[in-house]
Amino acid sequence: MEASLKIQILVASVATLALGACGSGEPGSGTAQLQIVGSSTVYPFTTAVAEQFQRTNAGMSAIVESTGTGAGMKLFCAGVGDNFPDMTNASRRIKKSEFDDCAKNGVKTIIEVPVGIDGLALIEARNAPGFQLTVADVYKAVAANPFGKPNTARTWRDVNPSLPAIPIRVFGPPSTSGTRDSFAELILEKGCESDPAMKALKESDKDKHKDLCTKVREDGAWVDAGENDNLLVQKVTQDPGAVGILGYSFLEENADKVRGIPLNGIAPTAETISALSYPGARQVYVYAKGEHVNAVPGMKEFLAEYSKAWGKGGYLERRGLIPSPADVQAKAVQAATQLTALSADGLK
Amino acid sequence: MRRRIRRRYAAERRFRLLGLGAILLSAAFLAFLLVTMVSNGLGGFRQTEIRVDIDFAANTLSAASAGGEIEAAVAAAAEAQYGPGGARALSDTAWLRVERAIEDDPSILARKKALWLPAASAIDGAAKGDGDGEAEALVTRLEQDDAIRTGFNTDFLTGADATDPAAVGIWGAFKGSLLTMLVTLAIAFPVGVLSAVYLEEYAPRNRWTDMIEVSINNLAAVPSIIFGLLGLAVFLNTFHLPRSAPLVGGLTLALMTMPVIVIAGRNAIKSVPPSIRDAALGIGASKVQVVFHHVLPLALPGILTGTIIGMARALGETAPLLMIGMRAFIATPPDGITSPASVLPVQIFLWSDEVSRGFVEKTSAAIIVLLAFLLAMNGLAIFLRNKFERRW
Repeated sequence: MEASLKIQILVASVATLALGACGSGEPGSGTAQLQIVGSSTVYPFTTAVAEQFQRTNAGMSAIVESTGTGAGMKLFCAGVGDNFPDMTNASRRIKKSEFDDCAKNGVKTIIEVPVGIDGLALIEARNAPGFQLTVADVYKAVAANPFGKPNTARTWRDVNPSLPAIPIRVFGPPSTSGTRDSFAELILEKGCESDPAMKALKESDKDKHKDLCTKVREDGAWVDAGENDNLLVQKVTQDPGAVGILGYSFLEENADKVRGIPLNGIAPTAETISALSYPGARQVYVYAKGEHVNAVPGMKEFLAEYSKAWGKGGYLERRGLIPSPADVQAKAVQAATQLTALSADGLK
Repeated sequence: MRRRIRRRYAAERRFRLLGLGAILLSAAFLAFLLVTMVSNGLGGFRQTEIRVDIDFAANTLSAASAGGEIEAAVAAAAEAQYGPGGARALSDTAWLRVERAIEDDPSILARKKALWLPAASAIDGAAKGDGDGEAEALVTRLEQDDAIRTGFNTDFLTGADATDPAAVGIWGAFKGSLLTMLVTLAIAFPVGVLSAVYLEEYAPRNRWTDMIEVSINNLAAVPSIIFGLLGLAVFLNTFHLPRSAPLVGGLTLALMTMPVIVIAGRNAIKSVPPSIRDAALGIGASKVQVVFHHVLPLALPGILTGTIIGMARALGETAPLLMIGMRAFIATPPDGITSPASVLPVQIFLWSDEVSRGFVEKTSAAIIVLLAFLLAMNGLAIFLRNKFERRW
């Protein structure tokens, strides 16, 4: 009998727990919450802004999820309403196909805010020989079929006789990553188009061009290193002669362990990246959903907070975001404050 | 004959040594894990603070000052005291502590006051013996002035996620884990125990029950990521429950934990001697009375052990939660099961992916918290088993 009492107590306490849990789960807890998804590269900047935003606007908060640019766009464009994110981070411009997809699902007013520049850098260990590469070298070393022929290069010397005979090992981001998209666009495609035949192919057969120019080899010379960039730094340090590809902020943070590899004679530094002269520099964006601006309190404040933070000396610069040139910044401030909708012209 | 006996003894000894070796090997792995975690993570519980003398009378701060003003005043005070670069030695969130100090005691606004403020993570690292030359030089200078100290980091236990490693806390994720586990327990325990009771005490033995049994065993072995995909499809896409909420996380983990509870519960119920059931039935108890008054109390220790082991597994689970959006940056602890939250293992995953180097020790510190939580749960399992256990 005593034991059955214990059971009853147990059942009762579990039931109370369940009820208590339901009780606290009443919908509409009163706080405004922005939902932000998207690129892992922009994530550290957006979280910093979110934190500051939360501090200065009592009762409002933003949750930021790092999904990758492509997946973020897909979520962002899935529709309008509570269950869809209010903003998405992107490490490249929105594509025409994504814009159309958005419009189809009722997301017609997209506000594009270029928040700054992120540098993609090629790195090597500090005790490595010191590469001097061109975008064409990189393309020839890691493409699956450089200029249409299967890749047989084993060492960097096979790619370019002036390079050392070190086996090609490149650690790079996986295909789901925005950094990979940028790498393909900024470095592989440029290297690929050093051959006029490839440039011509772009006009005649777009798909073939894309396949030849951006597909990386799968025989072990290229290693997908996952989204964990710290791990990538570790792998490169332990393997002198290997090349890593990651965001510039990681290079800056780990400057005592790895160094940047000059591309086309330009080393990745804060200056070359800000001027977009280093081939790996790119503009990063935050896209906001115009349909939500009036329904979700805090969106305007969030964009305003962002525009305060991205300037020279702002806290985003300390975190590795490089301020855009003044004219781009002026345009961005205008977009963030007047909430001008993006038009489809000029999108690829 | 003698040789055969010797051989048998030798074989016996060999086997014993092999067993001992296996134990030593696993103990060595465990010790290695614990030692690395503790040596890396202990620093995470400690925080370096720098003394800054702020002359409130001289600046224009008032009780109603906005954050930006306080931040500027703190930076100015640090620069004045420690020279250029002094402001950068303080954490980005140092001014929050000044704000709190003003709130606690507005009278300090009229005088000069020395406050201990959290140091930036570069200084923090240098004070703990892992920093670059510049930071170390500053630390030495501060030490001479007696203006630096390293103390227990209470903010780490009471705060939530942040972007500055000096300001992060584990409480947000801990509370998220707690709420998620609560939902899991509330769903998985009753359903699991009732299924176990029905299958053992009521269900007829036929092909259908055999099939159910096989399915449950299969379900217990399904990789957790599959449950995540299921949760994404069912709870988020079909029922439109909120993304990143402990409610959805708990439901998903409940699906995963239930089969474990059913299996443990059935075994526990099976091990109750039939004579007890027969005796109860013999003196006229109904089937429900037999189950609730006799079988369940006797099976309870086994069921509870199974439950807690299943819950401990759910507590450490990351993969399914990533699918339902519990990997977001959330700077406030959740206030209910529908508000966005993170959980301990996901927090560890997120921190391990951060750029800033100060996060390394915070990651290890979070792992220590998770291990302590797990240890507490397993300890509870052993305690409950010993308390309710009955031998015959």
